[in-house]
Amino acid sequence: MKHKVSYFFNPDVGNFHYGTGHPMKPHRLSVIHSLVLNYGLHKHMQIYRPYKASAHDMCRFHSDEYIDFLQKVTPQNIQAFTKYLSHFNVGDDCPVFHGLFDFCSMYTGASLEGAMKLNNKDCDIAINWSGGLHHAKKFEASGFCYVNDIVIGILELLKYHPRVLYIDIDVHHGDGVQEAFYLTDRVMTVSFHKYGNYFFPGTGDMYELGAESGRYYSVNVPLKEGIDDQSYWMVFKPVISNVMEFYQPTAIVLQCGADSLANDRLGCFSLSTKGHGECVKFVKSLNLPTLVVGGGGYTLRNVARCWTYETSLLVDEQISNELPFTEYLEFFAPDFTLHPEVVTRTENANSRQYLEAITKFVYDNLKVCQNAPSVQMHDVPGDAIPSDVKIKEEDDPDVRISQELEDKLVEPKNEFFDGDKDNDKDEAMEA
Amino acid sequence: MAEIDSMKKDGKTKNCKQEDKLFDPSIEMLMNDFDDERTLEEEEALAAEEPVDASVELSILQRESDMPIEELLALYGYRGEQQEDTSVLKEEMELSKENESETEQTEPSKLGEIYKSIPEMNQDASRLLRSVSRVGEEEEEDYDYSPDDEDWHKTNKTIMVGSDYQAQIPDGLCHYGDALPYENDDKLVWNPTFIDLVDVENYLKKAVSILKPTIPMGTQLKDDEQALYLLQQCGHNIDEALRRLRMNVISNADTMSLWSEEECRNFESGIRSFGKNFHIIQQNKVRTRSVGELVQFYYLWKKSERHDIFASKTRLEKKKYTLHPGVTDFMDRFLEDQDGRDRSSSPNVQNLIENRVIERHRTN
Repeated sequence: MKHKVSYFFNPDVGNFHYGTGHPMKPHRLSVIHSLVLNYGLHKHMQIYRPYKASAHDMCRFHSDEYIDFLQKVTPQNIQAFTKYLSHFNVGDDCPVFHGLFDFCSMYTGASLEGAMKLNNKDCDIAINWSGGLHHAKKFEASGFCYVNDIVIGILELLKYHPRVLYIDIDVHHGDGVQEAFYLTDRVMTVSFHKYGNYFFPGTGDMYELGAESGRYYSVNVPLKEGIDDQSYWMVFKPVISNVMEFYQPTAIVLQCGADSLANDRLGCFSLSTKGHGECVKFVKSLNLPTLVVGGGGYTLRNVARCWTYETSLLVDEQISNELPFTEYLEFFAPDFTLHPEVVTRTENANSRQYLEAITKFVYDNLKVCQNAPSVQMHDVPGDAIPSDVKIKEEDDPDVRISQELEDKLVEPKNEFFDGDKDNDKDEAMEA
Repeated sequence: MAEIDSMKKDGKTKNCKQEDKLFDPSIEMLMNDFDDERTLEEEEALAAEEPVDASVELSILQRESDMPIEELLALYGYRGEQQEDTSVLKEEMELSKENESETEQTEPSKLGEIYKSIPEMNQDASRLLRSVSRVGEEEEEDYDYSPDDEDWHKTNKTIMVGSDYQAQIPDGLCHYGDALPYENDDKLVWNPTFIDLVDVENYLKKAVSILKPTIPMGTQLKDDEQALYLLQQCGHNIDEALRRLRMNVISNADTMSLWSEEECRNFESGIRSFGKNFHIIQQNKVRTRSVGELVQFYYLWKKSERHDIFASKTRLEKKKYTLHPGVTDFMDRFLEDQDGRDRSSSPNVQNLIENRVIERHRTN
């Protein structure tokens, strides 16, 4: 099935610099765009120069004071804001650089617009490689992230979608998104990440399940360093398959942090571009409206390779291993290929036993929420006083949802349980 | 001897009754790199300390067999504690699974506690993970990045709950019918659906012949983003787009207009004095360009021959200061020169761009 793909890129978004020695390099986005164009991938998707998000858009999630601060602070006047810096966690990891707010409004606008296009059914897949800044909190910056474009995008999707699934394959835990939706069952967050040894951000324990009505709607898959393609797939596929079966989302947001690739400057996994791409391919095969965003990724050449390759997967085009001629070709020395061989010194610390145990743990928790989707469509907690208006409001979506369930949800379910031999699931059932 | 053996066993079974079931590592143990070898090693170590004299051992064992379990545990305190610890932890885990709602929000998870209690996982490890020492060639000047460790440990390790942390979820759902019209000012710059691929390629070929780019494009047909945008603006009317292309060839140059030799020199001197503080360079050295343009230029420049020359020059200058005055390390200098030449002799894209810059400067 050919998907209609929209791609959002602001030509200026790559021209920001976090400061000397900072591992986050927005210019990677320009390199990716150049590769995408020179591979001819733009012939298969709609290219948008996205709208820039306003402070008002950002305040749909963030606090007014925080956004106001981001808008005003510059490297020149930073002295005047000294007392706010630690309050908003701006400084070392999240420096104040020239054009900070512009940068935020560019990547946030692109995610927001991607969500709107999906809502309006203008496209099936929306790509924003500049987005995916999953650490940003309501009140503060964190881990190179200032504004959480993912949360803002999901909030937009929630206007039309009863259940949104968030999948995070960054090497770091998607704490900002998880926290934002910790108490709701309308968003399920699933994060695969390195956990332990004080690895940033320190959250992402498998016992973080969500709370109140959001309990069991936060799924965490903590992994250890050195995980390779095969092991990753061993957890990713069954976990996402089970999530799809039990949660039945109507839209997906996929965060493709490329710091889970081998030899990342900050990461410690051993995935190849192909292994990373396999996850994207799988999510695409679920045939739901999907917003694909970037995220971490601190070895410039590998991030560019990875997201270019994933763009090609999303538009269903095969591209050659030999990189096309671009102004950035020298960055890809000495091999000049899309899929260089993975050489890593990190040993895979994830035993098969461990991976099976964690998959089982996730499965057991998901089983608890299998009936919840039908509950939460009514949206009214048991004892609340139902006003006439409210009942009316909620009946309609209910009807529409059941149609959608027919049209959209059953289909992908068949696809991945009939398509391959689904051993994982059977095993889990027996156990 | 058989008696002793049985007594020994007896003593042991008392000791580890709880542990005497089939070893089944729980998921927490797996998480935690639980290592049952450890107790084995400890036992061996203990054994080594035990008196060698068989009769002494015998009497000790006899005494032990008469001891109440508490005393015995105390005697083997080290080992006993260890075993008890794990089993207690295990129980706690099971418990915590059941009553998580009470514990998980307010305090760090049990797992987190275990992590804290493990001594070898200290700050050094975290520092290693953070600024991984695998620094590629391209980041060689970035190796100095090492965030504050204090800051590092300050991070909240729990997910917070409250109105200060969660997003406000919109109530109910919109209906597709009454949706607000889509009114953001985004710009569609290319839509491939209305036009045949072959036509696009023909158009691009013609566009290239009009624009006559100064960089050789190779045999491959290169996509020109600007030309495609123009085609889009002309409603996919190829003739109209070509007509407009012919009308203003110059304005259709690269998104980044070309840099003059003077600008390049100022930029380099800015890098030398201010490092990668692009906004300061912009203010003090290259006022003709925006900060964004400086950043873009930096990434093209850093892989160019110009950069190699620049880098070896600054390295030499630094050397002059650090070396003992009057002494010149000729070998070092020789090697560096060689190095510079080797790199610049490799095919280099940026040479072309730089040449173009210079050429253009001359023609102006």
